[in-house]
This record gives sequence, structure tokens and C-alpha cells, in this order.
Amino acid sequence: MSTSRRTFLTGFAAAGSFAIASPAVLGQAKPRVVVIGGGAGGATAARYIAKDSNGAIAVTLVEENEVYQTCFHSNLFIGGFKSYEDISHRYDALAKNHGITLARARATQIDRDKKEVVLSTGARLPYDRLVVSPGIDLKYDSVAGWSKEVEETMPHGWKPGRQTQLIKQKLDAVPNGGTIVMIAPPNPYRCPPGPYERASMFAHVLKATGRRDCKIFILDPKDSFSKQGVFQEGWEKHYGAMIEWLGPKVHDGIKSVDPKTNTVVTGFETYKDCAFVNVIPAQMAGEIARSAGLAPAGGYCTIDPASMKSAVDPNIFVLGDACIAGDMPKSAFSANSQAKVAAMVIRGELTNARTFPARYINTCWSLIETDDTIKVGGRYEAKDGKIAATETFVSQPRESAELRKENQAENVGWYAAITADMFS
Amino acid sequence: MRGTGAVRLAVLGLMLACVPAEAAGDRALGEYLSSECTSCHQSSGKQVGGIPAIVGHPAEQFVALMNAYRERQRDNQAMQAVAARLSSEEIAALAAYYESLKPNP
Repeated sequence: MSTSRRTFLTGFAAAGSFAIASPAVLGQAKPRVVVIGGGAGGATAARYIAKDSNGAIAVTLVEENEVYQTCFHSNLFIGGFKSYEDISHRYDALAKNHGITLARARATQIDRDKKEVVLSTGARLPYDRLVVSPGIDLKYDSVAGWSKEVEETMPHGWKPGRQTQLIKQKLDAVPNGGTIVMIAPPNPYRCPPGPYERASMFAHVLKATGRRDCKIFILDPKDSFSKQGVFQEGWEKHYGAMIEWLGPKVHDGIKSVDPKTNTVVTGFETYKDCAFVNVIPAQMAGEIARSAGLAPAGGYCTIDPASMKSAVDPNIFVLGDACIAGDMPKSAFSANSQAKVAAMVIRGELTNARTFPARYINTCWSLIETDDTIKVGGRYEAKDGKIAATETFVSQPRESAELRKENQAENVGWYAAITADMFS
Repeated sequence: MRGTGAVRLAVLGLMLACVPAEAAGDRALGEYLSSECTSCHQSSGKQVGGIPAIVGHPAEQFVALMNAYRERQRDNQAMQAVAARLSSEEIAALAAYYESLKPNP
């Protein structure tokens, strides 16, 4: 068949499918999709299902917050490169532009037998397909001496909102010569380069405000970290000895923290009277996913790499940080990409829309200092039972200042595009 | 719904009339593949920062650019990774889709 003939036929089929599409579930007006969580996974899924089905699927987005602060680029807020408003987004346009119903409540239970989501308001939302994209929960017991009760004294800043603001307030109050200790999380966690970009932003603010005698210790339970070579090269270049990264072979174990005295104890050293301690604990899938039995092994949820469908329930899709996505990191870009695959599969199942092989993409940009941005990323496909990388790339040491500046311009453009892709 | 179908057919007709045969691609495939582009390239056609606008881009130029990334003649790690996994048919589909769109800033 010639290319133009194929174009005509598939184009005709696509145009005709709106008229002839029949709901997969007989006896009801429209198939129903409920999406739990309005982040990069959930907002994108809701938008693409509603937009591409042209009203043929009834989409309800369950999200507790009226205003969403992105975790991505929250480091740029901490570094003074963005305002709090810059990282805050509302759902009004998303709902209005695509006819999505907003349920402003918390999802408290998934009744998988009845195919209903129970909300904190007591309402029950029936679904034909359910998208679960709740992000992460923190393991409050993963650092001895730290708990939910002390998260304002030793903030994590790993969920957006008040915690992000606390990190900035604590950083701004650090006196010159003060010690900052960051406890980095073990794998797998949200935003692999995030702790190291954040440390860069700490140093940027301290340096820019004449507090060059401060010291930032990163105590890491991991032997290595994302983009390590280029981060460490950048730290030395821009901040001299301000940032010191210590792996487990050096600190000999993170033993405990004491929020009353701002002390951190490792096997090798005790850090007393810290000006600011940032504890980023171990993480797991959000409660709603775990309580629904979607993470049978504990921790995160297993999915089918070709569809993002839960391995334990064919009517449920799990996206983003809450799922085990093979070679893909837990990032907003990954969640946004996974959401589009799930949206395509769901439309195929509910309205017989045309489907295609799943493909995924991710890039993570990290700002080290003004106009010095590095990146890591890849392309992914379903292969050998997991989401496997087919192409990968990472910034290299000794790259030109011009290239690093271009990377930052990309980072800025990406943020504008992905937030438009989620909220417009 | 009927109106949308009619608009789509009109767009399709326009596309078939305007696009040279060698650049014409599977628009529905292009529309799905474009969801990979929209994480960075805004579907409104708006340009912000260092990410160029690609909405309404002439198909022939689009194909030439993507081929240059695929052959690693043009620099950009992310775009090289994207292009490396696209077949010529898929690039043609994307080009046809993006050419058929109008910027909506």
C-alpha cells in the first residue's frame, strides 16, 4: 500500500471512530475513568483521556489540593531562581477545557471488587478503569530519631508545599560558618538527581549572600549517585570545598539524628549544633496504592511495561513515582510519559480507539550554578518483561559553558511545556 | 462530535492536497507519537526558553531535521535519543501531523 493511501485510510478511520465508537460497557451512557492524584502522572492521564476521546469517556480527577506545587523545579525556588507562584498551578483550566470533573477530596479506599473509589467525603465513585498516581509516601522510621512529629524541625522538602518553604526558610537563616547536613535517601526514590541539585542550590544561595564559610555535608547511604561525576566537578568549580559528599564507606553508617540538639551521628563522626539538617528519608508508593494491594511485595507497585496496567488488577493503571518502571527513574517527565501510554491503552479498551506500541521518554535537568545545567535521560520500551532503556545519555565532564547554558534554556522550556501538558 | 469529524476530514483533505507524496505520513500514528514531543514542545505552538516551537513546521524540513538528529549530524543528546528510535515512516507520520496543526498561542 502506498504511504498516501495508508494515510487516507487510517485518517478516515480515525475521523470515523468518533461516530462509531461504542462504549465497552453496555447499558451506560459513557465509560467512566477515575484518576487518583493530580500530579504529573494523574493530571496528564486525565487530560489525554478526556481530550483524545472528545467527550466519549467521563473522566473524574480526584485531588485533595486546590493548588498544586510542583516538586520539579522546587529546587529552583529554593535557589531563588523561581518564585513560589512560578511553581504553583491550579486545575480550573484543565477541568474546563476538557470537561473533566474535579473531585476535591482524598481517595481513602479502592474497592476493587465493586470497582469504586471511596472519598474522604464519603462519596463513592464507580469506575470502568482506574488510574492510580498518588506519588510517594515517606518512610518516617527509616532514619533513627526522625519522625513525622519532627519534620518541621528537620524538614524533608520531598513533598511540595509547606515543606519546600520550610527548607528555604531554614537555609535563609543559616549563619556564615554554619554547618548544613543533608541525609540523602536510599534507592529507589523520587527524583534521583534531586538531592544533589538541592545541595547545589544551597551552596549557590550561601555563596551569593556572602556566607562562603558554610559547609554542606551530604551523608549518603548509597555508594554512588545520579550524574555524580559532573555534579562533583561543578561543585569544585563553583563552590570550592563548600559541598562535601560522603558515601557509606566514609561515614560508616547514618546512626541517628537528634532534633532537639540538631545533631547527626554517623559511625565515623558526630555533627553537633548543625545550623540546618535536611532529612530526605526512604520512600514508598502512596498509601492508597499500598492499601489497595497494588504493591504486594511492599514498597512500590508492579506494572505491565506495555500498558502501565497494574500486575494485580487489569482495571487499574499505576503511574509515576508509585510504580516500578524498570529503567525509568521516578521523575515528573517519566510520569507524564507513562500517563500518555496508559491514556492510549484505556481509550483502546473503552472506545476501541487505535492503539500503538508503548514508548517512553525521560530527561532530567539539574542546575548546579547559574547557567550551568547538566542532564540525563533516555528512551524506553517494553522489553524482557520490564520498561527497558533503548537509548541513554548523560552530560559529560569538561563540556563547554555554552552547552551548559543551552541545557538551562531547555530546562526552562521543558517546565513551561510539561506544566501546559498537565494543566491547560 | 459530527462537527469534529467533519473538521478532521477537512484537515485531512487539506493535508493530502498540500503535502508532497514522499512527505505524507500516517497522521493518526503521528498524533500518538507527538505525545512524546509535547512534554517539551508545547502543543499550543508557543516557544519558551530553549525549546523551539514545532507546530505548523513544514513537513519536508521536519523530516530533514529529524534525519539529521538520527544521523547525529545535529547536536543535542535528547533529540538524538528521540530520533534514534524513530523509523522513517514514523518521522514522516510526525511531520505530517505537525504540519497539519496551526499555532494557537
